[in-house]
Amino acid sequence: MTAVWKAAGLTYNRYLAIAARAARRSLKEDKRIIAERRGETDLKFSKWQNGKAGEPQNLEKANTAAMAESAS
Amino acid sequence: MNSFRFARVALRARPSALRVPVQRRTYAEAVSDKIKLSLSLPHQTIYKSQEVVQVNIPAESGEMGVLANHVPSIEQLKPGVVEVVEESGASKQFFLAGGFATVQPNSVMSVNAPEGYPIEDFSADAVRAQIAEAQKVASGSGSEQDIAEAKIELEVLETLAAHVK
Repeated sequence: MTAVWKAAGLTYNRYLAIAARAARRSLKEDKRIIAERRGETDLKFSKWQNGKAGEPQNLEKANTAAMAESAS
Repeated sequence: MNSFRFARVALRARPSALRVPVQRRTYAEAVSDKIKLSLSLPHQTIYKSQEVVQVNIPAESGEMGVLANHVPSIEQLKPGVVEVVEESGASKQFFLAGGFATVQPNSVMSVNAPEGYPIEDFSADAVRAQIAEAQKVASGSGSEQDIAEAKIELEVLETLAAHVK
């Protein structure tokens, strides 16, 4: 049986990130505030073509779109 | 024919071997019956090759307990509680969000997880609030990915709810 998340196109990496995020959010107040900072990522990238930089894109949004595309 | 003769020799040899106690001290007897455990997260090392008695892990293939001289294996972990029985006999429980456990041939074990905390650091109220929220998303009309993510969260939270008091 394939896991639901795999069928929805999510990667194992994404699965782990979500599980870790849920665990962090369940911590007691003081520890949670420190821990939740670790879950934040903010990364932009742009594709270079013919020596010109493309439109800068948000990595997280691009990943979500890619996962929706690979859903079976 | 040849193998028959060997078998008979072996049969005859066994009783005498039983009578004479083995005096030889081999490597296997000299090593301790402890596991060298490393439990590490990206941001913290909880155990650094510390000797412990037993480690219970929630493997994807089922709950398993690991003692010294365990057969080498690699196990994918489910979100769940890892229990470490220390040398003093006290046991500690950690909730890990996932990851892998590897057992190496010479009683060396390492557990790697993206996130993990002692079970007493979790708040039952926070877990309950998140379960309600995740259930709403899981049964809602979001995208397939949103629903799958909510189901992953539910898996983590329901395991947490069963252990956190």
